[in-house]
Amino acid sequence: MSKEEMFKELSDAVISCKKDTVTAAVEKAKGQGLEPAEIIEKGLATGMNEVGILFERGKLFLPHVMMAAGAMEAGVAILEADMPKDAAKKKLAVIVNGTVEGDVHDIGKSIVSTMLQSAGFEVHDIGRDVPLQDFIDKAKETSATMIGLSALMTTTMQGQKDVIEMLKEQGMRDNVKIMIGGAPATQAWADKIGADCYAENASEAVVKAKELLV
Amino acid sequence: MATEYKLRMGDGKRIFMTKEQIMADLKEGMADAADLGSIPDISADELDKLFDILTMPSRMVGVELGKEVPVTHDIGTLRIDGDQGNSGVGIPSSRLVGIMMHERAFGADTMELGHIDYSYKPAKPVIAQEMQTMEVVQQNTIVPMFYGAMPNMGLYYTPDGPFENPGDLMKAFKIEEARKSMEDSAKHLTRDIVWIMQRMMASGADGVNFDTVGAAGDGDMYASLHAIEALRKQYPDIYIESGMAGELMLGMHGEMEYDGVTLAGLWPHQQAPLAAKAGANVFGPVVNTNTSKSGAWNLGRAVTFIKQAVKDSPIPCHVNMGMGVGGIPMLETPTIDAVSRASKAMVEIAGVDGI
Repeated sequence: MSKEEMFKELSDAVISCKKDTVTAAVEKAKGQGLEPAEIIEKGLATGMNEVGILFERGKLFLPHVMMAAGAMEAGVAILEADMPKDAAKKKLAVIVNGTVEGDVHDIGKSIVSTMLQSAGFEVHDIGRDVPLQDFIDKAKETSATMIGLSALMTTTMQGQKDVIEMLKEQGMRDNVKIMIGGAPATQAWADKIGADCYAENASEAVVKAKELLV
Repeated sequence: MATEYKLRMGDGKRIFMTKEQIMADLKEGMADAADLGSIPDISADELDKLFDILTMPSRMVGVELGKEVPVTHDIGTLRIDGDQGNSGVGIPSSRLVGIMMHERAFGADTMELGHIDYSYKPAKPVIAQEMQTMEVVQQNTIVPMFYGAMPNMGLYYTPDGPFENPGDLMKAFKIEEARKSMEDSAKHLTRDIVWIMQRMMASGADGVNFDTVGAAGDGDMYASLHAIEALRKQYPDIYIESGMAGELMLGMHGEMEYDGVTLAGLWPHQQAPLAAKAGANVFGPVVNTNTSKSGAWNLGRAVTFIKQAVKDSPIPCHVNMGMGVGGIPMLETPTIDAVSRASKAMVEIAGVDGI
């Protein structure tokens, strides 16, 4: 089996969302002498990206994303012994994510948290209707380098701006990147309030977070 | 220099586009719907008509004579009294006055009584008030009168309800526990909706409006369809409207089925037959507005989706048109130029039976 065929098998195994299939494919790849880094990057991570695309197209759903992420983690665990210490467990970055105060919408924000977590970020989802100062306190506590601010209503999106202003007042603006999202948010709004990025959906949130943090 | 037409972005911002740009966006929006829903494009003539509607010189447009459709108004009860915080106009008035204004002054063909929280669950503790108000409203109006609310299954999860939040469970990789929580919540939701509607029917309601079905994902739709089924069985003449929350049924559970059909991933044209099967009289399809795209892109997309839903629905389709849906920009009080154009397109091109 060529390397490309092996990568495809690894990728397909992740898309199947089945832990056993992924671990079998990883053992097979290891047996063929593939490096752990390429097994992860060109095989498993490629499959995870495809899972994200299928999710956005309504072909796979949140439980499947989590099962795929769990299966990928099991695959990575097999490779840990052959990798530099802690390399497999290292998270891409720490992100605090939540829905701003006054807004009780939860689902979209939770999907973004889940997708970021599945992509390898350490995510602290602090819920919905979150007092604005809590975003900053949690970022301090976890040494987060990004804060995600969700708002589903035109009446609450002002909270996204307020957090940015509070970060400036508290001398923390340069320590964290700000991502905003939610139905009423746009790139123009992000530009206006000085956010670092706007993501239209969960997959885009992962792409933008990687662009800014990795 | 090419002629430029005034349009709006999905967030309501005024933009200027040439004919070529408008046609390109109409086609791109249409192609997105056709691709996602695996449905046909609309025809070249229909695209031309969409362009004509979008570029009509009048600030406000209307449907051609003879093509008028019934118009109803969810939560119109509160639209007069409520302020901009809940999309109202802030004129102090009771719910009865709100309903009577819609019936007698604004020409609504049906109306509904709704509670300020506008979900079924919070109506339970104030059911006596709701029953009394329904009686008074029915004594003062002629139009068919629904009781309306959102199923809103999220209210059954922590911190608002008794079942652990599936979002939290999912993030902890507790998939089966998350699914169980949704299944338990769905049972409670079905039971609550039926309980409330039994009392509203005893108070003279003509029907029920399920508003934003599926807002909490496939479990929300599952619970709603079972409530529709139970109500149809108990009240053969009840008038049931089943309106959706969004274009795609989110698979929070992923494996819930109704009548052998997996609910996750259904698009409007696939949702409609299930609403009919459960016993609804009218289906309310929704297409979400993308705030980062132009009105042309959004309307091309929305009309393509809704036209197919109308075609595949065994029951009349009353499309949801308002803030952030149906190609209308996301503003508390959407502008009349955008609302009237999108509505005309839905009636004359998508062929909806009502709005």
